[in-house]
Amino acid sequence: MSEKVLSPDLGFVKDVMKSGGESLKKCYQCATCSVVCNVTPEDNPFPRKEMIQAQWGLKDQLFGNPDIWLCHQCSDCTAYCPRGAKPGEVLNAIRKLSIRKYSKPGFLAAMAGDPRFLIFLLAVPIVILLAILGSLGHLSNIPRGENGEIVYARWMPVPFIDMTFGAAAAFAVLVFVFGIVSYWKDLVRNVDTRRINPSNEIGLGLGAAIKDIFAHRKFQNCNETKARGTSHMFVFYAFIGLAITTTWAIFYLYGHEFLGIQKFAIFNFGESPYPLSDPMKWLANISAIALIVGILMVISNRIKNKEKLGGGSYYDWLLILVIAGIALTGLLSELFRLGNMAGVAYPTYFTHLVLIFFLFAYAPFSKMAHMVYRGTAMVFGKITGRA
Amino acid sequence: MEKKYAVYVCKGCGIAESVDADKVIAAASSHTKVPKDKFKSHDILCGPEGVAMIKADMAGEGVNAITIAACSWRTKSDEFNFPGCVVSRANIRELVAWSQPPQTEETQALAADYLIMGIVRTQKAELPEPGILPDLNDTIMVIGGGVTGLTAALEAAKAGYDVALVEKEAELGGWAAKLYKEAPGQYPYEKLNEPTVFAKIKEAEANPKIKIFKSTSVEKTDGQPGLYDVTLASNGNTEQIKAGSIVLAAGWKPYDATKLSHLGYGLANVVTNVEFEEIAKKGKITRADGKPARKVAFIQCAGSRDAEHLPYCSHFCCSTSLKQARYVREANGDAMAMIFYKDIRTPGQTELFYKNMQNDPGVMLTKAEVKGVAEEGGKLFVHATDTLLGSAIKVEADMVVLATGIVPATAPFQTWWDGMTEAGKKGDAERNKFTEENPRPDGILNLGYKQGPEVPSLEGGFGFVDSNFLCFQYETRRTGIYAAGCVRQPMTINEAAEDATGAAMKAIQVLDHIAKGQAVHPRAWDLTYPDPMMTRCTSCKRCTEECPFGAIDEDAKGTPFYKINRCRRCGTCMGACPERIVSFKDYNVDMIGSMIKSMEVPEEGLRVICLACENDAYPALDTVGVRKKLKLNPAVRFIPVRCLGSTNLVWVADAFSRGVDGLLLLGCKFGEDYQCHFIKGSELASYRFSKVQETLDRLQLEAERCQMMQVGIDDYSKLPDIIEAFVKKIEDDLGPNPFKGF
Repeated sequence: MSEKVLSPDLGFVKDVMKSGGESLKKCYQCATCSVVCNVTPEDNPFPRKEMIQAQWGLKDQLFGNPDIWLCHQCSDCTAYCPRGAKPGEVLNAIRKLSIRKYSKPGFLAAMAGDPRFLIFLLAVPIVILLAILGSLGHLSNIPRGENGEIVYARWMPVPFIDMTFGAAAAFAVLVFVFGIVSYWKDLVRNVDTRRINPSNEIGLGLGAAIKDIFAHRKFQNCNETKARGTSHMFVFYAFIGLAITTTWAIFYLYGHEFLGIQKFAIFNFGESPYPLSDPMKWLANISAIALIVGILMVISNRIKNKEKLGGGSYYDWLLILVIAGIALTGLLSELFRLGNMAGVAYPTYFTHLVLIFFLFAYAPFSKMAHMVYRGTAMVFGKITGRA
Repeated sequence: MEKKYAVYVCKGCGIAESVDADKVIAAASSHTKVPKDKFKSHDILCGPEGVAMIKADMAGEGVNAITIAACSWRTKSDEFNFPGCVVSRANIRELVAWSQPPQTEETQALAADYLIMGIVRTQKAELPEPGILPDLNDTIMVIGGGVTGLTAALEAAKAGYDVALVEKEAELGGWAAKLYKEAPGQYPYEKLNEPTVFAKIKEAEANPKIKIFKSTSVEKTDGQPGLYDVTLASNGNTEQIKAGSIVLAAGWKPYDATKLSHLGYGLANVVTNVEFEEIAKKGKITRADGKPARKVAFIQCAGSRDAEHLPYCSHFCCSTSLKQARYVREANGDAMAMIFYKDIRTPGQTELFYKNMQNDPGVMLTKAEVKGVAEEGGKLFVHATDTLLGSAIKVEADMVVLATGIVPATAPFQTWWDGMTEAGKKGDAERNKFTEENPRPDGILNLGYKQGPEVPSLEGGFGFVDSNFLCFQYETRRTGIYAAGCVRQPMTINEAAEDATGAAMKAIQVLDHIAKGQAVHPRAWDLTYPDPMMTRCTSCKRCTEECPFGAIDEDAKGTPFYKINRCRRCGTCMGACPERIVSFKDYNVDMIGSMIKSMEVPEEGLRVICLACENDAYPALDTVGVRKKLKLNPAVRFIPVRCLGSTNLVWVADAFSRGVDGLLLLGCKFGEDYQCHFIKGSELASYRFSKVQETLDRLQLEAERCQMMQVGIDDYSKLPDIIEAFVKKIEDDLGPNPFKGF
């Protein structure tokens, strides 16, 4: 076997320890973690090797490997670790640093992972949205509906939202594309392409990975956190539901405006708000409730398992609380609107918009990025036989 | 002393249920010609009434030679302690009542034989008179002024003894004084300690009972415990001192790193752990060019656990490297210490220090087989395979520290001595050639003993002093000289201090015992001593050769004479002597021979004699009885011996000429992991009996009739089967002794 030249990096070790992996150095390499892990492939299993690579600060070996993302943090390893080294938490911290490496600009990822910058990150959507409202004169004068009812779209016209959020989403997608490409290159560099060239097999890998993801198959292998499969599934499908609703609403608005489609049957083409009898509304409300249920389950599981499996870092909780906030403010906005409680309705809706912007714009830098990088790793893993 | 005999048979503890005491008494009386009225039995002999009965006989009838048939002699020694009387014990509880079927003819005969042998023992034994030599000195000489020596000196002085502390170097403190810091020795094993040895130096220098000799070596040690005449040499001058006992704390030397060129020694910035202490002591961890060392690689087991170099583990190098990793980290927060180990060995609570160091982000650890350290483009690289990092690796380092192990101070001479002995086996020419080619290294004790000038090391023991690390630490094969610290085995500073305390205690104990004429370990109570009838000595020197403790020297004419305070009373000389002239008051060739000859050998059926070592085999036999479920073959008669080394070959003749069908010897394990309490006894017995088998062959007696086996005290569960197999082999393969009935 040829010699591997190691470049130990103390800075990286400290970064892992600061990012939620403070137990990293306790590992004494007994490999209990790799034995109890039900997700790892048998050949060269994780997370034992990741633990020592991280102890030595060998970041290139960690990043250019799908394994840190193939881990679903069941935390079986953490539960059985005889030394309290919490491999699950450590790998989570490494993933955070991996996001920082691949999602450029890196400073945004650094800010997303650091509570000191939270206020700045929140300030961006707040300033943008206030600027829009201010320029429309809607800060002092809130236009109502024909019958004096609350119509959010009159206060914050949808095209403004779409422009702003569309731009944020486009930025996120761009960052993701660059991130995926750069990650993929690193992954491919570490395989023998004479044997298999992963780049030629993407279609195959993608199909298999999507099947796994939709069925949440990997989660089912977890022992300690089996319940997480359910909660994640709630959140996952709620997001899909909400994505459909959003597209649906765009279709209603612009279909009416540009294509002249009129209301028919139960389909209410035109401006929001839409009546509760509309099927889009059914899906939206079901998804919102699913999201609330799911995210509450996430929170309760995490609190319940805190002692045994690790409490998670700021990075984890930020995403959880943003999602919880979005779901809660979304549902409350609707209820306050229906109840015509203007005093609380507008601030709630404003908060809702801020949080959605936060989620969209910072997705590549927050833990939200896991869907993309883990997805990429799973595709790669399917091709190379590790997932 | 005119003996007035009395024999007591106990019926308690199940003996009465097993045998008929009256019949046993009748048999013994008719066989030994001791009148029946001298026999008494009692239900609970060890109880107050039983003991009172014996004492009444002593007072009333002047009884002074007592035989007690009851439990094993290993129990109830306080109850059956009758000062001024010869007391023998016949074990009819463990070896009869508890390990034989009750009320059978064989059991009855067995009990009778044990009682007969007990009576013979009483007849042949005399009261011991302690042999106390005049003008005993009770100064304790401590050789070595390091942590071990200083601690031993302080402990002995605190106990009230005068100490002569001899240090070869100009300053006290040894290696411990050369350290920058010490690895932590107390909970929570977190902080490094300032070197502790300086406080000890101060304390020793201030203690009026400790006389310190610096830059001094021992030129000659003559005499024996209590009577050592030591010649000290210092800068060309010599001085005579007297000492009573000696603590050997000569310490160690680091392994010669010039032999480790494959690990880069000789290159710039490749240093040993000892050299690294000197670098750290200067205050900065810097390279040869003065630049700070940011990446320091520690290579564990450098030249240790390696067949080419030191095959053993030096025990403290892992904590030392962890400690030195702390130096690196404390000197520079951005510096990394990379430790490549075979496996981390931090014994005991030092594990906590390992854990603490492991938690430091800048301490990187991996198991590795380090293949080499080499320079490439002006940079140092460590090459290793079999790492936890998954492949062969190459890591750059600013500095490489080789964790070298220790060589005991006793090793150079021992190696030379062994080489010379080996060459000597091929003749004087070879020996002379060896001594010409290999200059004699300096000795440490330079003993004027027939058996050689230093304390022996165990064969295959790498030059460490032979001192059974489990059962009898500190004891060496030279009575009165106790080894402590790294001459015994590699150890840490704390362990060395503890070891020194133990050795000081032994050095005190020997002074106390010789003043009373008592032996030391393992027969610390014994007042007897070997008393040879020198008029019959042929100066064959077997005793001087075989004594495991070098207790017998020779005078100018080559006649052996005992340095009695060196003797441990094992009786190896008694076993060795072809003239059978060595006797103890209560243990001698005639006594055991008479016991063998006294027992009934039946015309029909087998009779086997087993000589069992008192230290391991006999206790194991007792345990067979105590367990009660195990049974011993009733054809076997067990006789305890002080050590298998004391078995004289004449007993073989005694046994087989009486028609005994087999002779079994149970002794301790010998060899590298020996358990013999007298170190060489069972090995010597084995050697002796390998010769007797030739004799048996000539007598046309099958060699298999006489067999020696090694058993441990924990082998009790196997013993019945071992004995059964031996008896069965004689029964099936050999048949009865053809001399039976002659």
